[in-house]
Amino acid sequence: MMTLRFSRALYAGEAVDEALGAFAHLVTAERSATAEAWELRLTCLYPAHTRRIVGELGNYALARTIERGGAL
Amino acid sequence: MHQTPHNVTAELEEGAIRLRVDREIYPLPAIYGASYVFIDRCFVFLERDGEGRVVVTLQARDPNPAEEALRALVGEFSNELLSCAWRHQITAENRHLIEAVTSQALAGAMGPPSLDDLASFDFTSDGFEDPLGIAQSWEEKHGRKNKAQEAGAAGAGEEEGGR
Repeated sequence: MMTLRFSRALYAGEAVDEALGAFAHLVTAERSATAEAWELRLTCLYPAHTRRIVGELGNYALARTIERGGAL
Repeated sequence: MHQTPHNVTAELEEGAIRLRVDREIYPLPAIYGASYVFIDRCFVFLERDGEGRVVVTLQARDPNPAEEALRALVGEFSNELLSCAWRHQITAENRHLIEAVTSQALAGAMGPPSLDDLASFDFTSDGFEDPLGIAQSWEEKHGRKNKAQEAGAAGAGEEEGGR
């Protein structure tokens, strides 16, 4: 299990949710929020590919944030 | 630590490079723009540090990248960052012009005015003053007058002559 933190000032919460939805077949996730960040506790269903799956999930969340016009 | 010329500091990590970008010099839209360009080449993560800077982590897709390749990413990302910041500034400076042109284009796309629009349009206001008669046609200014005008002019001449 690993924890990913996405700063609220830089990532849109909806974009993080979309990324989780898109990768639901590859990871199981517990989502929580702090005042500063969206936190995801991830367990990859294919441990050998964890690095790539986490990287692609992060890219997806960032791309959707940018396409939405930013975090706010 | 690698110091680049544009207040971007970079640290080499295992399989990744971390750049600290000063937000006073590079606005967030520029950081987003540069990051977006690198998404197909790297895994890109953004964080904030406590000093008002954005930390950009570029993780190579290759699990064992060459150090030179990672160092090259710093320069390429810095160039892209500068380009995006400059485009962001140009867009901000020309925002009013872009909005004016767009609104004119949209107004033109609405089509010609309807008969109701024309019926309610106020035509009474004078378009402009023309004290020198520049807007008059040649006929209006020098052309032959009709018979009624000629008779009126002749009568006025006789009256003046009779006095």
